[in-house]
Amino acid sequence: MQPLIAQVILIGAPMTSETLEVPRTTPRRRGSSDSIGTVTGSTFSSLILEAEGPIAVEFMSYGCAHCRALEPVIEKVAETVKSRVKIFRVNTAVEEELSDSYEILGTPTLIMFLNGREVGRVEGPHPTVSSVVTAVTQPFES
Amino acid sequence: MSQLPEIQRQTTPILLFNDECAVCRRIGHWVQRSAQSNSGETSLIVQPIGDDPAALLALHPDLDIWDAYETIHLLMPDGSMKLGGEAVAEVLRSLPNTKWFAGCFAVSIFGFHPFQMTLNLSYAILADVRPLFGCESCGTPGWLRPIASITKWAKGVFGENHHSSPTPHFTSLAARRVRPLPVSGELPPQARHI
Repeated sequence: MQPLIAQVILIGAPMTSETLEVPRTTPRRRGSSDSIGTVTGSTFSSLILEAEGPIAVEFMSYGCAHCRALEPVIEKVAETVKSRVKIFRVNTAVEEELSDSYEILGTPTLIMFLNGREVGRVEGPHPTVSSVVTAVTQPFES
Repeated sequence: MSQLPEIQRQTTPILLFNDECAVCRRIGHWVQRSAQSNSGETSLIVQPIGDDPAALLALHPDLDIWDAYETIHLLMPDGSMKLGGEAVAEVLRSLPNTKWFAGCFAVSIFGFHPFQMTLNLSYAILADVRPLFGCESCGTPGWLRPIASITKWAKGVFGENHHSSPTPHFTSLAARRVRPLPVSGELPPQARHI
C-alpha cells in the first residue's frame, strides 16, 4: 500500500487502490488444491461420456480474462459440490476439435452431462459462487 | 511452447508475454528486435505464455499460468522472478538501446524509488487500458468499464469487426485472433525487413 500512496502523491492523480488495481510485484503462491481435473480429447470419452452421474465441464482458455475471473469461483464451487457433481475443464486453445464438436462459441462455457448425455449449457456465467452453483446443479434437478 | 537450449535458458532472462493481446504482442515484437544484436546474440528470450501450465512450471516452480496472463513476468537466470513495473525496468536495462536511461529506475530518494514507482504506475495504467485497444484477453477493470463499453459501441457503429457476446462474462472464440510470436532467435517475417 505504501508504494501506491507514494505513487499517487508523486503524480497527483486522484486514484486509490479501489479505482486502479496495481499489478502484483511478487508471485502469488496458489495452493495445490486444484479440485478440477483437465480433460483432453483422448480422455474425454472415458472421463465424461462413459462416466456415470452428474458432470460439469468448463470449456475455457488460460488467455481468456473471463475464465481468469471465473477460476477461483469455480474452484470453490468444485469443492462445495464435489459430493454431487464432478467438475472438469477442457482447454479450448489446445482441444480445438473437441470444442468444435460441442459447438463452443466462446469461453467460459459450462456443459452439464448426465450419464454421458448433455443436459444443460451455460455460456459466460456470472463469476459468483451462487450463480455458478446454480449453473452446475440446476440441470440435474429437473 | 518451443524448446530452447538449456544453457541459453540459464544465462538469459526470459520475458513472458500474453500472445493473445495485440498490445502485448506488439511490445513483444519490439523487445525481441531490440534484444537481438547484429551478431545474432540476444540479451532476452521473448516467449509467449502459451497454453500449457506444466511447461510454465518447468520454467519456474512458482510460475502460475493464470498469473502469467494477468501481468508481465520476467524470469531471471538466478531463479528469481520479476513482475509488472519491475520486470519492465529490468527489460529496459537489458536492451542495448534503452539501458542508458534505465539506470534511473534504481535511483533512491529517502528510501523511495520515484522513477521505479512512476514506471510501476504507468505499467498498471497501460495494463488496465489494454482492452480499449481491442484485447479481450486482458480483462476490463471496473473503473474502465464505462469507457470500454463506449469504445466497443463506437467500433460497432463505425464498421470495425464487432463480435457480440451473449453475456458480459463471455469471450467469443471468433474474437480471439492468435498470432503467436516466435521464440527469440526466429524473428517474425515482418521484422526481418526492418
